[in-house]
Amino acid sequence: MKALPAALLVFVAACGQGNVILNVDVLSFLTASDSTTQYNVIGGLPPVDSTISRRFLLPPGLGKSTVDSVSASFSSQLENLTGGGRVTLEVFFAKSQGGLFIGTPYLSDSSGHVTGVQTVPMGTNSLRLADSVFTTDSLWVGIRARITTDVGPNMSGQLRLTDLRLRVVLQDKIL
Amino acid sequence: MRTGVVAVALALLVLAPLRSARAQFSFDARRYGMGGVSLSRDGNVRRYNPAYRAVKNKNHVAGTPKFSIPVPIGLVDFFKDHPINQLGHDPMFSPESSAFNPVALLDIVFNPPIFYEVKKAPMPTNDVSFTVGRNQLIIDLGASKVLIPEQEFGLGTTSRLLDLGVGFAGFHVGVMGFLQYDVGFTLDSTLRSFLVRDSTARPNTNYFANIDGTVQAGFAPTVSFASRVTRGAGGGETDDGLYLGGAVHYYMGATYGRGIGPAGFTTGPAPVLGSTPAPLLNGDLFTSNKPFGRGVGGDVGIVWITGPFEVGAGVNDIGAQLTWSHSKIQHFVYDNAGDSIASIVVSPDTSIKTKLPITYVGNAALHMGTGTTVGGDVVNSGRGTVIHVGVEQRTGPFAIRGGVSRDQRKKMQFGFGGGLRLGPIGLDVGFFTHSNSLSTQRAITMATAISIY
Repeated sequence: MKALPAALLVFVAACGQGNVILNVDVLSFLTASDSTTQYNVIGGLPPVDSTISRRFLLPPGLGKSTVDSVSASFSSQLENLTGGGRVTLEVFFAKSQGGLFIGTPYLSDSSGHVTGVQTVPMGTNSLRLADSVFTTDSLWVGIRARITTDVGPNMSGQLRLTDLRLRVVLQDKIL
Repeated sequence: MRTGVVAVALALLVLAPLRSARAQFSFDARRYGMGGVSLSRDGNVRRYNPAYRAVKNKNHVAGTPKFSIPVPIGLVDFFKDHPINQLGHDPMFSPESSAFNPVALLDIVFNPPIFYEVKKAPMPTNDVSFTVGRNQLIIDLGASKVLIPEQEFGLGTTSRLLDLGVGFAGFHVGVMGFLQYDVGFTLDSTLRSFLVRDSTARPNTNYFANIDGTVQAGFAPTVSFASRVTRGAGGGETDDGLYLGGAVHYYMGATYGRGIGPAGFTTGPAPVLGSTPAPLLNGDLFTSNKPFGRGVGGDVGIVWITGPFEVGAGVNDIGAQLTWSHSKIQHFVYDNAGDSIASIVVSPDTSIKTKLPITYVGNAALHMGTGTTVGGDVVNSGRGTVIHVGVEQRTGPFAIRGGVSRDQRKKMQFGFGGGLRLGPIGLDVGFFTHSNSLSTQRAITMATAISIY
């Protein structure tokens, strides 16, 4: 699979000492059902996880590049209808599906305590340096919503992911 | 294998100036200092204009050395960065290395590192960004967009690398070596739009460049005849007069190859990045199985000299068509299933005819006395007309030179330099601009040579 990166490289390598920057709209790779999580959890139970994982493709030829930095961001909206508790949204990236949901997430934000009908915006961003996870042309994203309920009525509502982006800065060419 | 190729190529570049004659690629520091023009009646002009063989006083121009030995300072710099005993592992030549950069490699081909690069052509150093989404793939090349050619981008020339022989009574019998290459790249409009206009890649679309490259080389036994048909006002003691010459070559091609076809990638069905774009390669390769592609062609030339003025014109390789009786035609296509390049032999042994492009050469010089000589030449070897105009002023042991030229890419280039002669030995330095690099700006190279008088 060297031909394609070589074809792209003819043009991209001309950037000399400049960087190659990938702006990835990760949310666009998710389906509508992926980006909206409906929940209805019995009150007082231990934390319940709702996860999705999807593979998405990047331009070929990233395997030999050096990652300078990776910044990621997401924004979402928690629309709680009944009950109380808190929701923590975590985003993971890995080269394989099996590597997801292990260790510290790339992005994590909590809604804080909510109760009854309440809408809470959530979102955060992060910056990592020299992360080898992104030296690939095929990447997995995993999203985990951890729901912790109060004792009492069911906690129900939905969590909508409204934006999820990656910005990967490569130090050198993509071949 | 790669080490061998690189070593041989560099060796040829080093040894080339020792040949008795030079091609259009020159190692003459004096010539570079005058914008590329040659004011002397040296082997270069005789090779492209057979009428010059009848001009006896080849060193008529005052101060013309017998020959020059280039001082390849650029090679010192090159081998400092790329030790010759480590070329096999040099990241620059290894596609497996993360430091491999084909653009830099191509730059060396366009601009051999013989002479010292005073000012390198700056590459655009902006960032290149990809915007990637399920339904979009956009490349923003930034300032590098200017490198994307609008029309065919190519290079090619015919060089006569060797010219050995003996002459008698106006006849000259010898052997000429020839090398002709022509490589052209044309971006398909879809690919160009994708790269230049920040438009997103479309599904099920081919993005490719058309490539057509030919190289053929060999040698040609040659018989030529030249004579002074009229004597000028200066009489027989001078070179004044009208000279005519012609040459017949029997070409014996040593090797030939031509590759033609599109190369690029094809996007899959929507969404555009729902699947990995597939490489696109669908071309034909023509190669000679055996040497000695044969053919006949000829040159004609005319020179007129009157006092301090001379003008000449030559036409080379007229009717030069070579027949390669034993050639192979292969078709190459990228096999997506096997993720490899598959080849099909279309014809294992067939006959192919090739042509050498006709080369037109014109030159003029005026020796103005008081050590001043001006001149110019025009060369067209199948890929655009190159024009050189230069002047040299000699004062005692010193010489100063300057000139301008228009290169194959129709860009103006400039040269200046000087020389110092101490008895039978001289040192010449020439600075010249060029646009041989993949850059929009000119580079400046310093050529140095020792002249023997």
